[in-house]
Amino acid sequence: MLSNIFLKTLRDQRVSFTWWSLGVVALCVFLVAYYPSVTRTPSLSEFFEEAPEWIKAFVGESIEDYTSPAGYLNGELFYMMAPLIFLIFAIARGSAAIAGEEHDGTLDLLLANPLPRWQVVLEKAASLAVSTVALGAVLWLSLIVAAPAVNMDISHARLAAAILSCVLLGLVFGAFALALGCATGKRGTAIGVATALAFATFFLNSLAHVVGGLKGWNRLSPFYYYIEAEPLKYGLNGLHALVLFSVALLLVGLSSVFFARRDVLV
Amino acid sequence: MQEPVIRTEALTKYYGRQRGVEDLDLEVKRGEVFGYLGPNGAGKTTTIRLLLDLIRPTRGRAEVLGMDAHAQGVAIRERVGYLPGELSLYDKMTGSELLQYLGNLRGGVDRGYVASLAERLECDLRQRIKTLSRGNKQKLGIIQAFIHRPELVVLDEPTGGLDPLMQHEFHRMVRELVAEGTTFFISSHNLPEVERICDRVGIVREGSLVAVDEIESLKAKALRKLEIHFASPVPLTLFQELPGVRDARLENNTLSCSVVGSMDAVIKTAARFEVLNVVSPEVSLEEIFIEYYQGGSDA
Ligand SMILES: Nc1ncnc2c1ncn2[C@@H]1O[C@H](COP(=O)(O)OP(=O)(O)OP(=O)(O)O)[C@@H](O)[C@H]1O
Ligand SMILES: [Mg+2]
Repeated sequence: MLSNIFLKTLRDQRVSFTWWSLGVVALCVFLVAYYPSVTRTPSLSEFFEEAPEWIKAFVGESIEDYTSPAGYLNGELFYMMAPLIFLIFAIARGSAAIAGEEHDGTLDLLLANPLPRWQVVLEKAASLAVSTVALGAVLWLSLIVAAPAVNMDISHARLAAAILSCVLLGLVFGAFALALGCATGKRGTAIGVATALAFATFFLNSLAHVVGGLKGWNRLSPFYYYIEAEPLKYGLNGLHALVLFSVALLLVGLSSVFFARRDVLV
Repeated sequence: MQEPVIRTEALTKYYGRQRGVEDLDLEVKRGEVFGYLGPNGAGKTTTIRLLLDLIRPTRGRAEVLGMDAHAQGVAIRERVGYLPGELSLYDKMTGSELLQYLGNLRGGVDRGYVASLAERLECDLRQRIKTLSRGNKQKLGIIQAFIHRPELVVLDEPTGGLDPLMQHEFHRMVRELVAEGTTFFISSHNLPEVERICDRVGIVREGSLVAVDEIESLKAKALRKLEIHFASPVPLTLFQELPGVRDARLENNTLSCSVVGSMDAVIKTAARFEVLNVVSPEVSLEEIFIEYYQGGSDA
């Protein structure tokens, strides 16, 4: 585990990753445990059907079939909770990768090794990608193991598609935080700006369904490519996934360019 | 003539408006121990980090081992060991994990050699770095700069935090490696240390290199302070007239003075009386500089 930067970065995260995984497992247990009480309350569906259009739009269209497994998971997990988890996870790691090590002062030691700076960035980015995918796998496994207990019938493949979408969304913002850290060397800035952008683009995507003037603009939001095609119901939208993947890749590329050009702070 | 191991040409670094170093022309020869001496904020760390390509010059250039510090940084760092001035290690690792990691990043190093370095500096590699004392962290920092047997070792204030015994052991290690052909570039603001281990000294002040000198001529010009406690009163004028003696004062049978160059005359004169104690207080670098220039212009 100490043979290169990629593995060492993963190794550094083993404790925190364990806690994240436990949190995700706990969340799945709660989600599944509450599912029967939702199905037993048909009025809930009716309630949402009668809700004003803007609430439906804001909360997501999936609310209409809230009592189906896919509708329930969309509303309770994929609309808000899952993006939140993967965004926080990825932004924390993306900002720590370079700017965090810079803040800790260990970057001088690392960069004194015979490695080009782009390689350092790439190895760190790879470990970010692998750990985010791993957290996605934990979420997927927990759900498919727990769901049968309450006869919650979900397609494993579509669940994987939805989680992959979410992982890609996390990676976009994680890579954005990495790029900010690489450009500025300041971890706080990286976290703050990436988080602010996440909120802004989340609301941009939600509001575009309601506010006429914003129509179409939500295509600028990563959340559009994450959820608009409803991968949990219809499977992965290849084009949307590709958009997210490309943006993340582009941001990693920019990260290494930014980092190679600037002074390392002390 | 052999090409220099380090050469800078008009090397200049500004941090925004703040001066780092200015128009630095420096040459370090193969196989020497070059001391880089200067007070706080003089630009020592700036120079060193420019050589390692951690920061980029505003103007001018630096060559290390005949290669451009920036363009060929990877090839340079393969053959250079570096101890940062503000050392931060991976707190959560143990010493041996750290050295293993850094060794692996260099494609693997001789473990026996690493162990022998640790043994010489009495460094416990099993302990978590977070729980190590400052001096023990510093030892790890020194060891990691040596593990790949680099041709050039750049050390930014290496002995901070080391106890005198370990400082001596460190000096011995430097001497041994020099005998094997290693070149050292060592920054310091401690004149006695530089005198002990360096062959040549560059003096940097407010971002500029003000002098480069052989250690012997630095010693000849350097200013030292001396306090001699006598058992009974002594004639002050006797000492005031000695060559190189300045600011001689007598108080309660204690003579205090500054001496430029050799102490021989003062000591021999003092030996005529009963001496209780001799103390040589440390001199600040600023005082040395002042004297260095006055001495230089007198000559
Ligand atoms: N990142 C930075 N931003 C702004 N100014 C800086 C930065 N790093 C160094 N400086 C300035 O550059 C000058 C030289 O600093 P440097 O750290 O090279 O000095 P030094 O000789 O290593 O001092 P010390 O003996 O205290 O380690 C100082 O005036 C310092 O304030
Ligand atoms: Mg310094």
